[in-house]
Amino acid sequence: MKKRNNRSFLSIALLTVMAAAVMLTGCSSSGGGSKTVKLAYVAWDSEIASTYVVKEVLESKLGKTVEMLQVDAGPMFAGIADGSADAMVAAWLPSTHASYMEKYGKDMEDLGVNLNGTKIGLTVPAYMNVNSIEDLKDSAAGDSLDHKIIGIEPGAGIMSATEKALAEYNLKDYTLVESSSAAMAQELQKAYDANQPIVVTGWTPHWMFANMDLKYLDDPKGVYGGDEQIHTMARKGLKDDQPDVYQVMDQFQWTPEEMAKVMVAIQGGQSPEEAAKAWVEANPDKVNEWTKGIE
Amino acid sequence: MNIPKLPLGRLVEQIEQWLTLYFGAVFDLIHSVIGGMVEGINAGLTFLPAIAVILLISALAYWVGKWRLALFALIGLLLIDNLGLWAPSMQSLALVLTASVLAVLIGVPIGILCAQRAAARNVVTPILDFMQTMPAFVYLLPAVSFFSLGVVPGVIASIIFAIPPTIRLTSLGIRQVSPELVEAADAFGSTPRQKLFKLQLPLALPTIMAGINQTIMLSLSMVVISSMIGAQGVGAYVYRAVSQAKTGAGFEAGIAIVVMAILLDRLTQNALKIKHK
Repeated sequence: MKKRNNRSFLSIALLTVMAAAVMLTGCSSSGGGSKTVKLAYVAWDSEIASTYVVKEVLESKLGKTVEMLQVDAGPMFAGIADGSADAMVAAWLPSTHASYMEKYGKDMEDLGVNLNGTKIGLTVPAYMNVNSIEDLKDSAAGDSLDHKIIGIEPGAGIMSATEKALAEYNLKDYTLVESSSAAMAQELQKAYDANQPIVVTGWTPHWMFANMDLKYLDDPKGVYGGDEQIHTMARKGLKDDQPDVYQVMDQFQWTPEEMAKVMVAIQGGQSPEEAAKAWVEANPDKVNEWTKGIE
Repeated sequence: MNIPKLPLGRLVEQIEQWLTLYFGAVFDLIHSVIGGMVEGINAGLTFLPAIAVILLISALAYWVGKWRLALFALIGLLLIDNLGLWAPSMQSLALVLTASVLAVLIGVPIGILCAQRAAARNVVTPILDFMQTMPAFVYLLPAVSFFSLGVVPGVIASIIFAIPPTIRLTSLGIRQVSPELVEAADAFGSTPRQKLFKLQLPLALPTIMAGINQTIMLSLSMVVISSMIGAQGVGAYVYRAVSQAKTGAGFEAGIAIVVMAILLDRLTQNALKIKHK
């Protein structure tokens, strides 16, 4: 009995000693050299596509090592603000990420727009015969939908915009269901496969438009505002530490169509690395614009 | 009732800012210690090719358990490798082992203290209740602002969530040692130290090990949440699959976590029952 106890204590002690030993060697390598770049991103198809393309460019054209941090939206902003990540290309402004910008915006550098023409709004399958938010007032349509609009995470810009839309269009008997981006997509896919009516809060670029035949409901009162843009954000001080990386991040911009090519390739089963590599090789002119002026 | 809303939220945010401002150096030290541990264990696990590590772990499973456990280890780990999840799984395993080792190193002494002092128990118990029930999402952002993105805040979050069973069961195990035996030890004039190491700890060991086992399982259940603050590993695969509504990919990554959980569970449970062969 005693022998055995000693043995398990011993093994725990041994493990700790081992860890401590390697720690001393591990520390030296974890210092931030100017060869490593940390990119933070959220696990949305659009951001996976853009972040992996940027990674490919930084690695193949600038010879950098890029560390990818897939995190949640809040931690992504917090990480850029405190400098634990160098940059990200996934800030949806002015509305989707407004709450994060309020808290962290002053601690980071906005390098401007990298993609124009994102859109948010109420989305329905193309087989439904409603075309405008006004049409939701129709009682038959309302009953078929159970007076529900399937939303995403509470606190997202699109959710507050939808609350406003319900008030503006006088859709008092509707409830906006709070869930998550994933659950919303799941719910939509289920209804779509069964040919059922459904209304969700949708946005482009999103893979659901590649997988299903969907349409935005017209917004005659313009509650959802104009289009949104995706911005590139860098930590403060990146310009001095790694001017070449800073410059590429600053010059990086592309169109929804270009992004869609990468997204569809990933949806079709390619790994993000493969899809990004193929796109970068196929579009040298565009990539040269991003790397212009770097020796 | 006309009491205005208490500024609790603002107070918490002020405390967070104050800690970030004045304890930066302490957090940096913790950061490099924990970061080094995770990196070290991960380097150890990935130093050899996957198949060699699989055989080593299977041999360990045979030594600790029976041939059935060894067979499970072999098939389960080969499956993880086959699904292409070996490297992220080892990252997650490094995170879990680091969190568990630290939880044991911190938790067992606190548990002993709680067993011996009722006052300590009264202070610690409500804190433990807090740690186990406060939703992990709440302290994700403070963890990032203290320890920056990466594997370290993931380890910290896992420890907060997983340490209570070790403390509770260590304390319980020691208090359950029969009073007659403790009296006998006192009567024969043993020092408190002798009493602890030669009587109470050995007799409480099965209970303590049950606590440690729970701690390991709980820290495994944190890998997905940890991945949201940069710990990556197999949790990030689950999280990504879920946010893209890919049930299949999510299940594959989930199975990798299940295999590791069952293995760690059986290995720690059987560590006490090693047969003399």
